[in-house]
Amino acid sequence: MKSWGWWAKAAVARRPWAARSCTYKPPFGEVLYRKTDGTRIDVAKLSSKQVKPLRRQMRMIFQDPFSSLDPRRTVRIDRRAARDHRVAKGRQPDDQVAKLMLEVGLIRNYMDRYPHEFSGGQRQRIGIARTLALSPRLIIADEPVSALDVSVQAQVLNLLQGLKDELGLTLIFIAHDLSVVEHISDRIAVMYVGKIVEMTDAEELLRRPLHPYTEALVSAVPPADPDIKTQRIILQGDVPSPANPPSGCVFHPRCRYANQDACQKVEPKLEEVEPGHFVACHLAKDLALTGIGG
Amino acid sequence: MAHDTGLDVIEDAMEESLPIQEIEKDRAIEYPLLPDREGHDVSPEVTLMLRRSMRTQHESYATLVWRKFRKSKIAIVGGLIVLSLFIMAIFADFFSPYDPVRLNMSEGFIPPTQLHFVDETGQFHIRPFVYKRVQVLNADMTATWTDDTKVRYPINFFVPGWEYKLFGLIPMNIHLYGVAGDATIYLLGTDRFGRDMYGRSCLAGRISLTMALFGTLISVAVGSIVGVFSGYYGGAVDNWTQRFVEFVQSFPQLPLWMALAAIIPITWDQFAVFVTMSIIFALLSWTLLAREVRGKVLALRETDFVLAAQEMGASDRRIMFAHLLPNTLSHIIVVLTLTIPTIILAESFLSFLGIGIQEPLVSWGTMMRDAQTLQTLGFNPWIASSVFFIIAAVLGFNFLGDGLRRCGSHTMSMSGAGALLTKTRERRLHS
Repeated sequence: MKSWGWWAKAAVARRPWAARSCTYKPPFGEVLYRKTDGTRIDVAKLSSKQVKPLRRQMRMIFQDPFSSLDPRRTVRIDRRAARDHRVAKGRQPDDQVAKLMLEVGLIRNYMDRYPHEFSGGQRQRIGIARTLALSPRLIIADEPVSALDVSVQAQVLNLLQGLKDELGLTLIFIAHDLSVVEHISDRIAVMYVGKIVEMTDAEELLRRPLHPYTEALVSAVPPADPDIKTQRIILQGDVPSPANPPSGCVFHPRCRYANQDACQKVEPKLEEVEPGHFVACHLAKDLALTGIGG
Repeated sequence: MAHDTGLDVIEDAMEESLPIQEIEKDRAIEYPLLPDREGHDVSPEVTLMLRRSMRTQHESYATLVWRKFRKSKIAIVGGLIVLSLFIMAIFADFFSPYDPVRLNMSEGFIPPTQLHFVDETGQFHIRPFVYKRVQVLNADMTATWTDDTKVRYPINFFVPGWEYKLFGLIPMNIHLYGVAGDATIYLLGTDRFGRDMYGRSCLAGRISLTMALFGTLISVAVGSIVGVFSGYYGGAVDNWTQRFVEFVQSFPQLPLWMALAAIIPITWDQFAVFVTMSIIFALLSWTLLAREVRGKVLALRETDFVLAAQEMGASDRRIMFAHLLPNTLSHIIVVLTLTIPTIILAESFLSFLGIGIQEPLVSWGTMMRDAQTLQTLGFNPWIASSVFFIIAAVLGFNFLGDGLRRCGSHTMSMSGAGALLTKTRERRLHS
């Protein structure tokens, strides 16, 4: 019952990862999923027929609320998928739709409307309702609020958080906006060029980052008080291509602390430096990095 | 507060206008709709607005299209032309004062009857009238038809005449117009056999239009299915399908049509010939739609809603026919309205050459056959009058298609208001 923030700055790694765990087979690697009976399976290795029963448990929220709804189908028809998965029968879908709509803060009467009759926030709510239709255990939210206005973002985030607590589901929340990640996450994993570089509890990560990349990201968060001056760390250069990553630590060309030979030659492993705090950095133990309020 | 009471009045008026059950139903729903997990009160204005928005009926797709369609004058004109042609074809018997298939050799090649309002003495009559036609021999032994102006024959409407069956079922003998007595009315003259050209044109519309519709229907069915398969599966399927489409497109259409139509055995019954001809037209015209649909599907299959459908576990068939095809509907409708005139033209061309539809079936093309000899046409130009029906049909469908293209394409696509909003928002962010 945790929500995971995947703070994935490298756009390349982000989207295919989320989409693939839902619809495609990744070319390599594994997607592990713990079933209700406790056994672990590698979703990446299953055939599409074997995945179908799992789809009910793992759902996805899309980034763009404008393209993720079929413009030619009313909300009601769109939810009929519930019947395909045999979780509802006969007229039940309609009642279920009404219930779902209430759950995400929309009203029953909207059921017969087409997507173009809704605002972005409403559309995203519909997207969330769609996700909930099959009562999943795991929701992968791929930048669900990045296409929305800030005020609407807050509404949708509150909704997601409420639903997470009420329905007791796990949320993997992918975002690039730290304030969003901070708001919703219990644990945060920071990714750089397709790899997790740091992973720990949300508060711990923001207060005491152990990876130089995290430190740079945290420094970019504007404080709510305009009088507070922060030391922004500006990273030099661009995100390298994941097709041709730098040798050793992928971050070393842009890292201001990288001085060791190891940084250039040896790829650091994700290690548990402190209890519950995983970092992939050779210097993790030696550096004293600044977090928020630090 | 003053404005509060004002709102209450509006609200009461609104509630009065609705059945009680409706209001109860609305009330059953919790009101504060906006993110009210924190329990913020929603202002009365907002509540009123929300209530109102809940009650407004959403617009169906057809309503949206109609609203845009109404604005396009040319589409309205096209629609009216097409509609009147269909009405004339369906009620052809009602519109022809004389049996359009009965031979009447003594009245061959009568020029179109002139409608008069003013008689010989210069007196004006509200009701139009005609004169009796009499044949006079010229000095060179040719016969011409002239008006006998002695007696006026006023035109009567809804007059009983020859017996026919409405829709092939209901026996009737009422016709739109006619004249009493021994005068005749041929609005577009008569052909070689003394048959009313106007009545025959209406009758011919049945064959020409149904063949065009039937052929287009087959063509649309084949084209959209091939297109959606090709676009959705992509890769090798798409490659092979597109090469096949190109292969079909590279046929010289007219000669192939002629060849195919020419090999239909004359011993076949009329209906079989009709169906075969429609299929022949369809077989060569589906490629345009297949291309259009494929292009649209190629773009659509990358969108998130298709991914969402896949993620929900929808089958390929469901995605193709429940999501992709409905989204290409505007393209399909436009291509449909452009295929119809093509088939009308092709049919009249083949019939004109004497292949395809044969007598006693009558189409606009077979009517044109009578105008093949220059001499006949020179003396009796009205026997080519079915050409106006062809032109009207082709132009009507083209206008209609043009109008539909304008109102269909952006009505409900994602590139509508929402995308525009996002774009302006992005622009604001970047500036």
